[in-house]
Amino acid sequence: MSTDASHEVRPADTAAGRAPRPADDTGRQPGHKGGLRRKGLSERNRPLWMLIPGGALMIIIIVVPLLLGIYMSVLNLDQYTLRKWISAPLIGAENFVEAVTNSPLLHAVWLSVSYSLLAMVVTLPLGIAAAVATQNAFKGRAVIRSIFLIPYVLPSFVVATVWRTMLQPGGIVDEALATVGIHVGLWLNGPQTFWTLVLVQIWASWPFIYLLALSGLQSVDHEVHEASALDGALWWNKLRYVVFPYLKGPLSLAFLIGMLHHINNFTLPFVLFGVPAPADVEVLPILTYVTSFQSFRFGLSAAMAFISLVLIAIPLFVYLRAVKLDDADTPGAKK
Amino acid sequence: MRFKSTTGLAAIVTAAALALTGCGSGGSGNSGGSTNANGKVDGTGKTLNVLVGVLSQYPEQQKQWQSDIAAKFKAETGADVKFETFASANDELTRIQTSVVSGQGPDIYGLGTTFTPTAYATKAFVTLSDDDWKAVGGKDRFNQAALGISGPDKDHQAGIPFVSRPFVMAYNKDLLAAAGIDKPATSWDELAAQAKKMTKGDTYGIATGYKDNFDPWKFIWAMSVQAGNPLVDGNKLKMDDPTVKKAYETYFGWLTNDKVVDPASVGWSNSNAVAAFASGKAGYLMMTTSSSIPTLDKSAIAGKYEYTLMPTIAPGETQSKSDGDAASILSGDNLVVADYSKQKDLAFAYIKLITSKDEQLNYQKTFGDLPANAEALASLTDPKLKPLADAAAKSKATPFTGAWGDIQLGLLNVTVQSVPDLAAGKVDESALEQRIKDAQNKGQASLDRASKG
Repeated sequence: MSTDASHEVRPADTAAGRAPRPADDTGRQPGHKGGLRRKGLSERNRPLWMLIPGGALMIIIIVVPLLLGIYMSVLNLDQYTLRKWISAPLIGAENFVEAVTNSPLLHAVWLSVSYSLLAMVVTLPLGIAAAVATQNAFKGRAVIRSIFLIPYVLPSFVVATVWRTMLQPGGIVDEALATVGIHVGLWLNGPQTFWTLVLVQIWASWPFIYLLALSGLQSVDHEVHEASALDGALWWNKLRYVVFPYLKGPLSLAFLIGMLHHINNFTLPFVLFGVPAPADVEVLPILTYVTSFQSFRFGLSAAMAFISLVLIAIPLFVYLRAVKLDDADTPGAKK
Repeated sequence: MRFKSTTGLAAIVTAAALALTGCGSGGSGNSGGSTNANGKVDGTGKTLNVLVGVLSQYPEQQKQWQSDIAAKFKAETGADVKFETFASANDELTRIQTSVVSGQGPDIYGLGTTFTPTAYATKAFVTLSDDDWKAVGGKDRFNQAALGISGPDKDHQAGIPFVSRPFVMAYNKDLLAAAGIDKPATSWDELAAQAKKMTKGDTYGIATGYKDNFDPWKFIWAMSVQAGNPLVDGNKLKMDDPTVKKAYETYFGWLTNDKVVDPASVGWSNSNAVAAFASGKAGYLMMTTSSSIPTLDKSAIAGKYEYTLMPTIAPGETQSKSDGDAASILSGDNLVVADYSKQKDLAFAYIKLITSKDEQLNYQKTFGDLPANAEALASLTDPKLKPLADAAAKSKATPFTGAWGDIQLGLLNVTVQSVPDLAAGKVDESALEQRIKDAQNKGQASLDRASKG
């Protein structure tokens, strides 16, 4: 899960790094004029050769495995051919056909995307609310802020293990609910598992939204608060028309990273439900894992991974265009 | 930003691809050993790499055992032994895949018995010749039952038995006596009947975990084999046989019809069942091994429990229809030597040392696993170990096919998907049939690939 960690850290850096920036400028288009001037400067004599070490690493750890993965997806690669895998029989699109027509892949994609989206839709307001609530100084704010971060700093494995223990039949959650007369049934098996997964994911990931929302709030100028107060804006109007526009960039980023993180999350469903997973939580990473490491169909699972990559890349691309996160001229993506 | 989103996208594939392609592992860049005048392998200045599972119950003892055996091996051959451990089956698999692909890594692997067929299918491990068997001390030195899952037939064997860990059941002597039962059940029908007598209030006749990752398929396998269906017959999977359905019905029936297990056990793994038995709330503890001894001896029922063979007569039958009793799956650890190893003679010498009678007895004393060495097994006198030794001799191997992993997963999956029904108190017959049919289809497809492979 090291790739996840790098997602989580880097955008936070970016957001934090750009936070002080609007202070230099005024108004809602921070850095627009200055950006143009600086661009002219920075494009001249850029020491591009300094990208070589990083670029080489990128090629080794991202491009090469990606290409290998694609190559594997057209091989009949299993435990019988693994040893001389380069010369495993080439079977063209067969793996892809099997993945789409005769495997739970599409169901898994549906589960993954819907669960990620659900978790995201709930964590967004939660995270924003928590950030707004701890924006103004009050006694004990540092403690509250630290407590908010606990779910985020706990390793996924620990979170999943603790929740699994609590949600066991006759476990602490069942008993607590029983005292108020609610009997929910099984959490870790059957149709409810989907909601269990969403619930635990929400618990574990809302502080990430909170963090980015907080960084967005920090970038709101003091003058802006004063000006809106002078104009007589009440708290909701102030929040809606003055503060939220500042959050658009960080939260778009949070949404994107959060979705990718949820879709990629293997540890949580794996530890919560084990393999074979109940049919209602057989999400993409679990399916790919089982196909690879329980059934040893490496070629098929590479095809599955590739199909899901494409399926996720399309909406992601559209989304990136829409929020212009990849556009250096907009506030969301200052470099 | 563009860079980062690419990273995000690539992660999905990278995760899979990285695991497979591996980043290479520390190889043993040593040249071959030679045999000196007195027939001993001379390994002076060489290092043998051994990969074994971590024994989480005995971390200190394992380290001690490793350094002791390394010293003995050094005295004998002059070579060092470097141990590496894996924490989980998943860990082990990753190591094996990496090594298989890259052609370097440990010289010797410790493998669980049911994983041996899959490892054999990769052809990355030495199939032992007669000379190789001589080098590890001869085939005769091993408990012959333990050789049952070393290879597809007697002439093609890669797995060298190291320890046996047969499955038995434990029973609470007091609870059985209180219910007027004078000896533990030998058929599954009798077991259910006895369990009913013992079930009272919060005490249940049987402790077992329906959410365990392994136990469920072992029950189904055992009951099917005992009814004369070994599940795999040549290239045919026989999971759609009535014996399999009957096995599931019996296994689920403990909860839904007989009501002799704690309803909470739908969420239990094996260790929860051990805990329930240890608290004195269950008559029988199913599907356990000698590894439960430390827990039980420290519990409220210390001295009040005993091990015995699990029933060997299939549900609805009056005698076992299998050749041999099939009291347990053939369970334990095998050792395999990597085909790419450049010091195979040294590897065989090491295996010879640790499968010798004295070392095997020493290992048994420390860790509780039964010896695979026939002489050592016969010399065990502790009455508590008697039923375990019996079970080791009456163990039956699971089918030797590279498709076994898939078949096992299918058997287990039927239980996993049935758990919600189980919790509701009734497993619908047609739903069960459908699940078995799915498992049959997937397993058969896997067997078809195995026969081509």
